[in-house]
Amino acid sequence: MLRRINDFVSKNRNLIPLVSTALLALAAYGVGAYFFVGMRNPQVFFNLFRNTSFLLISGIGMTFVILTGGIDLSVSGVVALTTVATAVLLRDGWNPWVVILLMLAMGMTLGAIMGSFIVYLKVQPFIATLAGMWFARGMCFFISDNVVGIDNYIFQILGQTKILIPGLTELALSQGKPAPYINIPVIVAFLLLFAAIYVAHYTRFGRSIYAIGGNEGRNEQSARLMGLPVDRTKLLVYTFNGFCSALAGLSFSLFVASGHGLYASGFELDVIASVVMGGTMLTGGAGYVFGTFFGVLVLAVTQALIQFIGTLSSWWTKIVIGVLTLIFIGVQTVLANRKSGRQGAQTLQDALRKRQRLALGFGAVAVLAILAIVSSTRLGSASSTENPETAQCVIKPFREAEAANLIKDGAVIVYNRTAGPLCVDELFAIYPDGRVLGNDGVNNVESEVDPAEVDQMLSKISGDYKWFTDAIYGRYLTPCRQCFAHYVSVSYRGQEKTVSQVDGTASMPQGYTLTLALIRSVLPEINPAP
Amino acid sequence: MSESDQNILVMEGISKAFPGVQALDNVSLMLKRGEILCLVGENGAGKSTLMKILTGVDQPDAGKIIFNGSEIQAKSPQHAQSLGISTVYQEINLCPNLSVAENILLGHEPHKMGRIDWAKMNNMAGEALQRLLGIDIDTAQPLGSYTVAIQQMVAIARALEIKSAKVLILDEPTSSLDVHEAGQLFKVMKKLKQEGVGIVFITHFIGQVFEISDRITVLRNGKLVGTYGTASITRVELIAKMIGRNLAEFDEMTKIKLESGKHIKSDSVLQARELGLTDSIRPFNLDLHAGEVVGLAGLLGSGRTETASLLFGIDKPDTGDIVFNGEVIQDYSPLGSIMRGVALCPEDRKAAGIVDELTVRENIVLAMQANKGWFKYLSLPEQYEIAEKYIKMLNIVTPSADQPVKNLSGGNQQKVILARWLATNPQVLILDEPTRGIDVGAKAEIQKLVLSLAEEGKACVFISSELEEVLRTSHRIVVLREREKVAEFAGEVDEKTIIHAFAGSES
Amino acid sequence: MKTSARSSFTWRKVTENKLFFPLLALSLILLFDFIFIPGFFAIESRDGDLRGSLIDIFRNGSTVMLLAIGMTLVIATGGVDLSVGATMAIAASMAGILMNPSALKNEVFFVTDPNYTFQPLWVVIVLSLLVSIMCGLWNGVLVAYMRIQPMVATLILMIAGRGIAQLITNGLRVQITYRPYAFIGQGWIILPFSLYIVAVILLLTWIMTRKTSIGMFIESVGINFRSSYFSGIDEKKIKLLVYTFCGFCAGIAGLVASSNVKTSDANNIGLTTELDAILAVVIGGTSMAGGRFSLLASMIGALVMQAITQSMYAIGVPAFALQAIKAVVVILVILLYSEQVRGFVRRISSSKNEV
Repeated sequence: MLRRINDFVSKNRNLIPLVSTALLALAAYGVGAYFFVGMRNPQVFFNLFRNTSFLLISGIGMTFVILTGGIDLSVSGVVALTTVATAVLLRDGWNPWVVILLMLAMGMTLGAIMGSFIVYLKVQPFIATLAGMWFARGMCFFISDNVVGIDNYIFQILGQTKILIPGLTELALSQGKPAPYINIPVIVAFLLLFAAIYVAHYTRFGRSIYAIGGNEGRNEQSARLMGLPVDRTKLLVYTFNGFCSALAGLSFSLFVASGHGLYASGFELDVIASVVMGGTMLTGGAGYVFGTFFGVLVLAVTQALIQFIGTLSSWWTKIVIGVLTLIFIGVQTVLANRKSGRQGAQTLQDALRKRQRLALGFGAVAVLAILAIVSSTRLGSASSTENPETAQCVIKPFREAEAANLIKDGAVIVYNRTAGPLCVDELFAIYPDGRVLGNDGVNNVESEVDPAEVDQMLSKISGDYKWFTDAIYGRYLTPCRQCFAHYVSVSYRGQEKTVSQVDGTASMPQGYTLTLALIRSVLPEINPAP
Repeated sequence: MSESDQNILVMEGISKAFPGVQALDNVSLMLKRGEILCLVGENGAGKSTLMKILTGVDQPDAGKIIFNGSEIQAKSPQHAQSLGISTVYQEINLCPNLSVAENILLGHEPHKMGRIDWAKMNNMAGEALQRLLGIDIDTAQPLGSYTVAIQQMVAIARALEIKSAKVLILDEPTSSLDVHEAGQLFKVMKKLKQEGVGIVFITHFIGQVFEISDRITVLRNGKLVGTYGTASITRVELIAKMIGRNLAEFDEMTKIKLESGKHIKSDSVLQARELGLTDSIRPFNLDLHAGEVVGLAGLLGSGRTETASLLFGIDKPDTGDIVFNGEVIQDYSPLGSIMRGVALCPEDRKAAGIVDELTVRENIVLAMQANKGWFKYLSLPEQYEIAEKYIKMLNIVTPSADQPVKNLSGGNQQKVILARWLATNPQVLILDEPTRGIDVGAKAEIQKLVLSLAEEGKACVFISSELEEVLRTSHRIVVLREREKVAEFAGEVDEKTIIHAFAGSES
Repeated sequence: MKTSARSSFTWRKVTENKLFFPLLALSLILLFDFIFIPGFFAIESRDGDLRGSLIDIFRNGSTVMLLAIGMTLVIATGGVDLSVGATMAIAASMAGILMNPSALKNEVFFVTDPNYTFQPLWVVIVLSLLVSIMCGLWNGVLVAYMRIQPMVATLILMIAGRGIAQLITNGLRVQITYRPYAFIGQGWIILPFSLYIVAVILLLTWIMTRKTSIGMFIESVGINFRSSYFSGIDEKKIKLLVYTFCGFCAGIAGLVASSNVKTSDANNIGLTTELDAILAVVIGGTSMAGGRFSLLASMIGALVMQAITQSMYAIGVPAFALQAIKAVVVILVILLYSEQVRGFVRRISSSKNEV
């Protein structure tokens, strides 16, 4: 019996990484569902796909690139560029369908240009696509400095239409719960996935891709000798990845309903991690497109778990992904090295035992790790003052109208701070006569500072910190677990400027940080923590 | 059919020169349809150059190639393939991560409704393997999961199936095969022979030459020695021709007296006891004494370089051990050997010898510096001094000690490597083909140098494919054949006996 | 006509000198600045300190210069280290927390006292550097002993490293106001203090590579590691050393960078600087395939990168459009350095000789 299993495993050795990733994703979700009631809600499961459809789309293109033994670091830049260009074009009134087609064409063009550099000018893929990323991001800022919102009706439909799951709808309604849904980008991602699998396994183009990569670059020469159109295939692969990057960018812009050049920072690493965890070797030639789907799933489940655990900073996601990627790469390398070593005759027992040990070891480590993280934080959180049930902070939107009124009434600095570890919503106003008022919607507080100090602050904010120049810009994204969101409005000598920023995501200009520090140093506390 | 019609391939008067060496000089080769022709020759004979010209990797300086009646000139390997000349190399040029069927049929897959018909492809491939080669394997498995022998079969199948090759060149196909697998390959070759395919079989296994070939073409130092019917030449005669000796000369019992070493010590500096490595060298015994030069002789593939690798610690043995100055060695590594005082001047100077971008000076002091470690750095004046000393001693032709080694001629590069190892002042010096690519005058110098090193008290191992050189330079001769030490001679030795030792029991 | 006597100074020797191309690039940019940016070369003396755009190039480029020192050695062995940016962030976070651990209590404590620090300065520096050395060690073990491809191995730390940095500061940005620390990046002793740091590290590295056999071994391993192995060089130890040292340099760079912006921003410190460092080394002429290296050339390469940045700022190019310009530079550099173009230039200069 064991022998038959061993034979089966031998025959399908290539599937081992893929299967282990799938099992890991499902196991992690299972563990999460056990500990957190919230995760048992089927909508959470479907949200995994809603939140990562752009990652999957990009991952599919990247899988092909990596299969040929190359790499594409430009994806994050192209995604950002797509979001910005889309937002601006829509704002200027272009037809949304034209915009979509244009973006896809742009992505393909960029991919083709980088591909030509790699194939014909023999530039290393690493460098060529790096240049591509810089170029794309740079182009973002030629188009627009600030975040541009997307307000288009068609895009709203595309992004927010709920597609109910047949079969589950009735079940949910009968239980009195809302029907679980997914959205259009998820459908698009899945369609692309199936198309990619078809191409990879049923077309000559797909098989040529596999032929080119792997075997430490020797395969490429063999493929040429076999008469395959290596150059053309590689060029097409990079073009296709450009298409996928643009498509992912469109999906992402639907997700955040805006565009900015700083979006998708570090995205390429998430994509590469998903592909690697899906079983595709970075040296190319081996791997399954379907595996990337599971890789993306692992990332999504990790993010969800961390959100639900609540007390962990969302940066744990990056660490976990890094560690998992390492384990996968390590195992891949060790297995590859062993294979290329002497093909000694192994007894069946030896092979069996080795494989058993590997499987058990890997599985044990993965399960233990997940359990350890989850349970330790649960134990840890029991002693914290936070109630796990209300772990999720509902972030209030900025009180913009109220702030505007305060400025009209004479305040020179208005500061609204939300979120943070204690989930606050505080609004302060500083007046030229030294008054400082604050409230959090429930409590009011008042204090007094020296009017000269207010003057000094204003001149510092305006002069040294350059508040009224382009050096200070705003960007708003959903804040991380511990992060604050800031909304600062300054009125000085006839100029008025409001900038909102969020802690802990991409760059907050230095001047803004210093302004915050300066403002906070004069503010009174509202409701000191018990 | 007339004589000329019988020839599927004729190479006439092929010459090719590379900077500094005439690789081929007016070489001709003829291959009949349905014939197996063996191409043999020792190192530097020109076999690979000839095949590169035939398959379009290189272009000849002179001569012409007539294939199937018309003159051709292959511009690239793909072009040669499309003409009908296919090559299967020792490193299989296929994609081991794809399945067998894909490797055979990729580029010509059967399609059904626009997509690849896997079932049909696997069947077609399986059927082709059966029909052409008589082997039966699961064609859906990745190529890499099969042994090299099977992979070679697949390569042959592709060559025949897709390219309908009329001439098949097999370049050292049996090097990675065991006896059984080689037998299978021969069965396949005989089958192809019957179908009219002309096969050029390049090998260094003399036994196999006699087992499978119809005719033998011998090359030596870029020149054609001759083409012989396999049935009409003996092994000894063939070997003699390969290494450039005329057997007829030895009918008078010419005995050569090997150098007598009065200064040879009786204790062994290095002793290999039943030292062996599976698939590399069978367990052997060898004693090296201070003041002695032991010559290692044998044909290509007999295991000379493998022996050197074991003695120097590049390879770790499976069986046996090495005793150095009375102590059993625990640490098999190049650095360990250098620290003990053992040096190896390797055969492949490009891959394992020179560091081409570094200068002459750096190359010479490299091993010496490695011995000293990171922090005992030889000062630049010291380095120049050492470099100059050896440049003079070995007569290395270079504009200065600061020339990057890659700019030197092959022979001078060899001298630089030699200098590197001499600089480590070893007790045991193993020289693997130290005179390859060096002009005649310099060769004699090096031979004299080796003998004088021995007189100074070093133990030397001198490996060369030039029998004459080995005879002139050694106190003792060890003969290797097919990865095994088969004979040892000292004192007076008879060249004929040695050649017989090369050939084996049947002459 | 005998040319050997005159061959000591020929056009050919000039072009073949390693420093030629990077110096050429630098002079082109400075020429551009001279023509188009008035006052670029103005150096004034303020309180005994030299200041000016030219000085700023050195000061702002000191981070990349530090990274480039370590990166040069790594690239010379045929590898690459993508994680230097993340290592910078980790070192910076470590330093921030050691000076201001209040972030660990879930509160951003706005320290306004410039003399406040939780741990003495030397502890801050030593511990941060220790952490960055460990990062380098980690990379070295992966590459040298586990034989993972350098790009892949360092990618891990690149992904996870920023997460680790965030973790150290508990997800918040730590304010650094301790003045002695700020001196690292912002201090001035006639010339910017960070420049002295660069000079010291450069000297140290030069001694390490040229006054011991380490430099020769690095080059040998990068050119032909089989031949090096047969000559007795332990290539594993060499690779371990260079990656560890690269981590060390990244740590110092992280301290300098964070003292510049007065926060330890785990997300942004060192963002894309790994790419700047690699580019600096490539412009300097060290081949990515490994082999001969020149620390000085990499420094010039870093200065080229910084000069471009500075010039663009001076003209008024918005901060992030710079990235697009850098991309164009990369492309130009690649083309300039590709074998075809270099061979072309050499052929031209040699035909001049033969006439």
